[in-house]
Amino acid sequence: MRRYIWIILILVVGCAPWTQVGGLYKNESYNFSVELPQGWMRWNKGEHLFITRDGVSLQYIQIGRTKIEDPLKHTKKKFSKGMLPQEAAEVYLDNIASNSNILNLEVIENTPATINGIPGFKAVYTHKNKDGLKLKSIHYGFMVGDWFYSINYHAAQRYYFEKDLKAFERVVESFKLIKTA
Amino acid sequence: MKFIGFVFLLCFALAGCATTSLPPVTQDFRFEEDEKRLWLRSEEEQKVINRSGVIYRDKELEVYLNEIAKKLQPPEVFTHIPFKVIVIKNHLLNAFIYPNGVLYIHTGILAKMDNEAQLSTLLAHEMTHATHRHLVKLFRDIKNKTAFLSTVSVTLGGVGGGIGELATLIGALGTLGSVTGYSRELETEADMEGLKLMVKAGYDPEEAPKLFTHLKKGIEEEKKKEPFFFGTHPRLQERVENYENFLKGQYKDKRGGTMNSEIFLEKIHKVILDNSRLDLKAGRFNIAERGIEKYLTIKPNDPKAHCFLGEIYRQKAEKGDLEKAKGYYQKAISIDPSYPDAHKGMGFIYFKQGEKGLAKKSLGQYLSLSPQAMDKAYIEEYIKQCNEGEKP
Repeated sequence: MRRYIWIILILVVGCAPWTQVGGLYKNESYNFSVELPQGWMRWNKGEHLFITRDGVSLQYIQIGRTKIEDPLKHTKKKFSKGMLPQEAAEVYLDNIASNSNILNLEVIENTPATINGIPGFKAVYTHKNKDGLKLKSIHYGFMVGDWFYSINYHAAQRYYFEKDLKAFERVVESFKLIKTA
Repeated sequence: MKFIGFVFLLCFALAGCATTSLPPVTQDFRFEEDEKRLWLRSEEEQKVINRSGVIYRDKELEVYLNEIAKKLQPPEVFTHIPFKVIVIKNHLLNAFIYPNGVLYIHTGILAKMDNEAQLSTLLAHEMTHATHRHLVKLFRDIKNKTAFLSTVSVTLGGVGGGIGELATLIGALGTLGSVTGYSRELETEADMEGLKLMVKAGYDPEEAPKLFTHLKKGIEEEKKKEPFFFGTHPRLQERVENYENFLKGQYKDKRGGTMNSEIFLEKIHKVILDNSRLDLKAGRFNIAERGIEKYLTIKPNDPKAHCFLGEIYRQKAEKGDLEKAKGYYQKAISIDPSYPDAHKGMGFIYFKQGEKGLAKKSLGQYLSLSPQAMDKAYIEEYIKQCNEGEKP
């Protein structure tokens, strides 16, 4: 009987959508590794990395990648190989600006940035959601081969944004591509 | 228990039987209970829209649009329904009115109009929906109202192009009027009464079908797929046919009237430019270009517009586009050498083409004209690379 309970427990834990994380995290299918902050929860569905500490409406960090030639959701513009980081930032931010869910968008910063030695961009903006909550986001983006990578931090502007900003910057600093070829 | 059941059935039956034959607001009347509730709900939905950041802020334009609205209705109607026109920053061909007279018009449809007579056609059509109490009539026709209201936005959630999100934002009543439209009969009434209003205000009735023919041609050429009433081919065709029939019938001797094209275009020129910006952000290059070409007919010597055409071609970057872009940037510089963005555009293209000396000069000029530019760090980096003689 006890053996069955253990099997059920293992299965239940294995299927849980959220797992507590911390330390080195490797995502072989997306070809990157990062150091995750202690005590955050990772969403197990989907291949991109998605973590939060207090809940997704309060803050989250997301790392993902898309094929350069893939269409974007809100703009017909596309990334293309050989784009300068500023051009990539332009496409990326226009995709956000064309999203009707993003209200009162205000871009505060759009500057060059280097991520794992690769030239890219850093964009910071604020916006409101439909409930009127003001949110602040930082997006790092860069292109490698056929892929566009983004590392995003998204939090309620009041209290939460500043609280976890350092944790996010440490994640960005620790970001490494597993295979660089 | 039986009694409660009976009362419930009675209420249901009465609600189902509520009349859809309501006199227009132009006569002596009183609002009915369900109508008052619709007004309250309208106010709630408007609060969400107004604080969302989608409102296009231009005081002068707002005053102008509301003056046109005032010409269309007698003052006694305004005492019952305080009409107010508000512009929404959105590229879609859409306009809708709430029963309390608050009329939202998208920059997308406003930018496509040519004159005040066309504007008055649209305003008068929408205002008739309010004065003739079409939403209450429609609402009384729908049996399961609550379920309907809660599913309107959800259903539209699956529609692409940000339309689902927009529908959620404008609320169920706004969506009802702007997406599904009213019955053919009520829309025809809005066309007919609207035409009467615009003619009474002195506008040229021949402009009424032209507006919708123009919109229809636009969606055909651009192969646009929009769910909104004024962006849907069959609904526009209905409008064209209705107005043409009225012109052949009771208005056959009524030709000529005010168009006020110049005043109108002067008042909306910023809308055309800003709407083209939205189109460019969304990657609708051809539509953005058409918008700017229209803008240039109003402001032919505006360096912003020439530079903007340069931006369209630079970002589209198809064969031969970069040379076209350079031409537009140069034109902007020839009109106003102190307009910074044109220098940046030139510098950007030179930089990508490996013309380091020219790139450095243009980018340097941009920074000297716009020392606090947000993209200063990028530009300094390009200049540094030019100095180092590195290839981009």
